[in-house]
Amino acid sequence: MLLDLHALAAGFQLLISDFTPWLIVIPGMIIGLTFGAIPGLQISMAMAIFLPLTLYMDFMQAMLFLTAIFTGGGFGGSIPAILMNIPGTSSAISTTFDGYPMARQGRHNEALGIALGASCAGVIFGYLVLLLLIGVISEAVLKIGPAEMSMLILWGITLIASLGGNSSLKGVIAGLVGLMLGTVGFSEAGNTRGTLGLDSLLDGVPVIPAMMGMFAASELFRLVNTRYLVEDDRARQVNLSRIVSGFISTLRFPGVIGRGSMIGVLVGAIPGVGSSIANLLSYVETKRRSRHPESFGTGNPAGVVASEAANSTSEAGSLATLLALGIPGGGATAVMLAAFTMHNITGGPVFIREQADVVYAIILANFGQAFLLIGLGLLFIPLLANVVKVPMRYLIPSVLALSVFGAYGLTGSLAGPVTLMLFSLLGWLFKRFDYSIPACVIGLLLGGMADEMMIYTYQISGGQFSYLLQRPIAMTFLLLLVLSLFGGRLLALLRRLAVRQ
Amino acid sequence: MKKLARNQLADLLVLSALFCLSGWYLWDSWSASSHIYNLILVLPLTVIVMLLCAVAFVGDLLRTEAVNRPVDRDSATSSLPAIALFVGYVISLPWLGFDVGTFLFLAAFLKIAGEQKWQWILGYSLAFAFGSALFFSAMLPYPMPLLLIPGGN
Repeated sequence: MLLDLHALAAGFQLLISDFTPWLIVIPGMIIGLTFGAIPGLQISMAMAIFLPLTLYMDFMQAMLFLTAIFTGGGFGGSIPAILMNIPGTSSAISTTFDGYPMARQGRHNEALGIALGASCAGVIFGYLVLLLLIGVISEAVLKIGPAEMSMLILWGITLIASLGGNSSLKGVIAGLVGLMLGTVGFSEAGNTRGTLGLDSLLDGVPVIPAMMGMFAASELFRLVNTRYLVEDDRARQVNLSRIVSGFISTLRFPGVIGRGSMIGVLVGAIPGVGSSIANLLSYVETKRRSRHPESFGTGNPAGVVASEAANSTSEAGSLATLLALGIPGGGATAVMLAAFTMHNITGGPVFIREQADVVYAIILANFGQAFLLIGLGLLFIPLLANVVKVPMRYLIPSVLALSVFGAYGLTGSLAGPVTLMLFSLLGWLFKRFDYSIPACVIGLLLGGMADEMMIYTYQISGGQFSYLLQRPIAMTFLLLLVLSLFGGRLLALLRRLAVRQ
Repeated sequence: MKKLARNQLADLLVLSALFCLSGWYLWDSWSASSHIYNLILVLPLTVIVMLLCAVAFVGDLLRTEAVNRPVDRDSATSSLPAIALFVGYVISLPWLGFDVGTFLFLAAFLKIAGEQKWQWILGYSLAFAFGSALFFSAMLPYPMPLLLIPGGN
């Protein structure tokens, strides 16, 4: 569907003709911000809890309410990632890489402002792309099969090498161990692997509690002897003008935002892996193209921008798949699909052709939400940033306890807290002996899907490698994979040859 | 034979543990089924992990100079009571519930972290533990293990 100006005008009319749908946007966004900011509570959980309320709304209101929770939660997740090193969702993993070091250096105001700025810019850019390219994106998603997914996952795994920390060998080992642990449980062939006879592991290792344990708990154990998150007394202030200046400074990174947003919307449209990989791809690409790649991971604002621009845009990508194909890309869009069903609407090509005005109204509403998010974010951040003033002897047990509650909430059983505990021990060990924690977590996230996609590819191809050559998108991912591994060296070689000539 | 530094030995132990974990996982998966669908990823993956662990192990062992990683022994020692407390907290949840378990964990942590005022220790732990337990038990669609707050399981 190319841009249909008539339907666009009708969609705009739909939005401004009645002010009542907008009344539920602000509460929705506050719910999203709150759930995103509390470690362990998920955006999808917030949407599921408040889904019954949408029964009393018309379809447009319901969509505005749910996308408001989605947008608020997308940014809310960056708050614990920056202040406590807890990526509440897999799409906020790379926000911790530079956001948390910035917070520890007393630059928490700036980091939060930057995250807000990048999130808002990402939402605006992402929905702009969606507005123009929804038809193209949905057609491309239909062409993605197991071979393409396998290549995409392999591309994601190659990122492990560049996240290796001080020892790249240990980085690779950590990533592969994560990948291995990601395959625990029932295999596609119906066999159980590595469950130790425990029923709770049949569905695999609960990923989010494991991620919380590896990132947050392991870091908190290390900080037991520190007085405050920010050691310098003078730097421990919450300053709105610094938050605003951080927000404005996002404008210094138009290239990072543009690249992150494109990666976010395109990769985010791929069901299942999109949002988890988009933020990492954006981060790694930004680091690779930087003149000072060594500054990433030590508090480089561009790292926060890259991650937040991509993760907020992947929301637009996953919404494209839902609207155009009726396929949910993750938990949050699955709840939206339930709202579709509750209102007797089926997403797909027929929906976007026959109700184009509604589709455009949903997309346009998200532009409005991005601006509302600026206001609400600037109101909320000063409140939440006060975390840096809490003494660590209070903060550490409180965050640990909150993570335990959250882990229980995610799994509905004590398997969540136990996973959190075991992975916090593993994370502590890994941190102490220089193994890359992000690499392990990425492996854990992708392991199950990598296994599944490899089996499907094997079944479809009959074990013939030449099958891949007939899949242009898979070959493109393969090319990107090779370029991301050797592109820098190739470029340097070409430059040297050019200089010689 | 040269004497291994303490941190080098610990490093080797971690590598050995990862090697054994991968070996065990391969054995467990193979025992479940040796069909290609079951091993398509697991077999190459575990073999690569074991090989890389072996390479890192030998590299570590052959390293002539002492490992020059700053070892913060104080930090490791001071982390251990916190870790033990956390492990105890999680393990005791089925019996103590989230309300009492969290209260005891917070109070014990604050005490060992150096908080002197008993009224702060008790007041904060009580408010946080019971406040969080009430909030989560109201928000979650399934019952939580709770000892004193009604409505748990």
